[in-house]
Amino acid sequence: MKKLMILVLGFVLIKTANAQLKKVDIVATGLTCSMCSNAIYKQLQVIDGVDKVEIDLNKNLFTVILKADHNLTPQDFKDRVEKAGFFVGTMVLYISYSNFTIEDGKQENNYVFIDTNPQTLNGEKQLRVLDKGYVTAKEFKKLSKKYVKYATYSVNNENDYHIKLVQE
Amino acid sequence: MKKGIIILILLIQLQTKAQELFVMTEPASNMPTGSIGVRTMNSFMFDKNNKLNYHLMPEIMWGINQKWMVHLQSFQSNRASGGLYLEGGSFYAKYRFYSKDDIHKHFRLATYGRFSINRADIHQEELETMGHNSGGELGIVATQLVSKLAISGSVSYEQATDNTSINKFPTKQSNNATNYTLSFGRLMFPRVYKNFKQTNINLMVEFLGQTLNENSKSNLDIVPSIQFIIRSRARIDLAYRKELYSNMIRTAPNGFLIKFEYTFFNVTK
Repeated sequence: MKKLMILVLGFVLIKTANAQLKKVDIVATGLTCSMCSNAIYKQLQVIDGVDKVEIDLNKNLFTVILKADHNLTPQDFKDRVEKAGFFVGTMVLYISYSNFTIEDGKQENNYVFIDTNPQTLNGEKQLRVLDKGYVTAKEFKKLSKKYVKYATYSVNNENDYHIKLVQE
Repeated sequence: MKKGIIILILLIQLQTKAQELFVMTEPASNMPTGSIGVRTMNSFMFDKNNKLNYHLMPEIMWGINQKWMVHLQSFQSNRASGGLYLEGGSFYAKYRFYSKDDIHKHFRLATYGRFSINRADIHQEELETMGHNSGGELGIVATQLVSKLAISGSVSYEQATDNTSINKFPTKQSNNATNYTLSFGRLMFPRVYKNFKQTNINLMVEFLGQTLNENSKSNLDIVPSIQFIIRSRARIDLAYRKELYSNMIRTAPNGFLIKFEYTFFNVTK
């Protein structure tokens, strides 16, 4: 029985491990001072599951490197930036995939892939979160028109994330 | 006034980054959630006989969440007795209700209120619930940050009451006033950020005005200042307050201000 449990557990781990969030890039908006950046840095640093936070103070870019096992979602980072008194202007997720098939408009767990061709993902990919609160207000206005065909996009459901592959 | 305009133009022309942590006024932005700030304002004001009026106003501030923050402050001065005397205290709250942010810029609106108790004698027509009068103040503040410059303006209504039963508010004076402020701030150094330990230097100029509602007497002050932000958490402000215009009785409008502040991040959830 125990062996079977381990086997099942191992299988579950492998299954979930084919899409693993490794790192998050966040550009915060509404600030230019290092005291403001420090406030965001302090908020991100204390999240359970965060290994370390690297900063580019001139770009207000925060690179959040995550530990191997975490249950963090984009909203966890967004909430922290807002707690510091600022907003997210750009959020890019670094997700490690193995044999992960995607299609335009297809939802996998809480992630909806949009503006994409059908393909199989392997290795670390960069994906931008395009939901309201993850882009500037100005950009969201534009995107809501562009992505009107995705029914879930305009709903502003907090629990699903619309992500788009960043072309390298 | 001319000098003020020159400083203003200079500030606008300098091509560096901005700050909005003003010396005399609060911006529409709040402290980070869960942070606690401690601050002391030391003002060395000179009356018409060049006698020094020293005011010590320590303050503790708390960012409750992204919308609300509160301050508790006490007022001491040497004005009456020569030694430091506890004159009163105040409670201040600010609510940020509008935010429009973009890369390197924001526009924010907040309302604020102050409730003060003071037992000092009332010695001037000017109303100041921060350190002189019992009473309250209710205002609105707008702050615009455009990558290189922070501009903040506020309008408030101030109501003074008796300074306890001993020091009644003079019946012939206006006990309410309208205040208006306009603040400009610019970050001068560093030009390029390397890390949090770099000292930031800001130059600021603020205009503070008051009109007594019952007799239309007014004043207008200019406060140029230099601010040092150390290790992205401590602040030292040096300022000079100068009366530009006044037709009301004021005890000691001109003088120096030194302010220290330290922020403790993530103290509460």
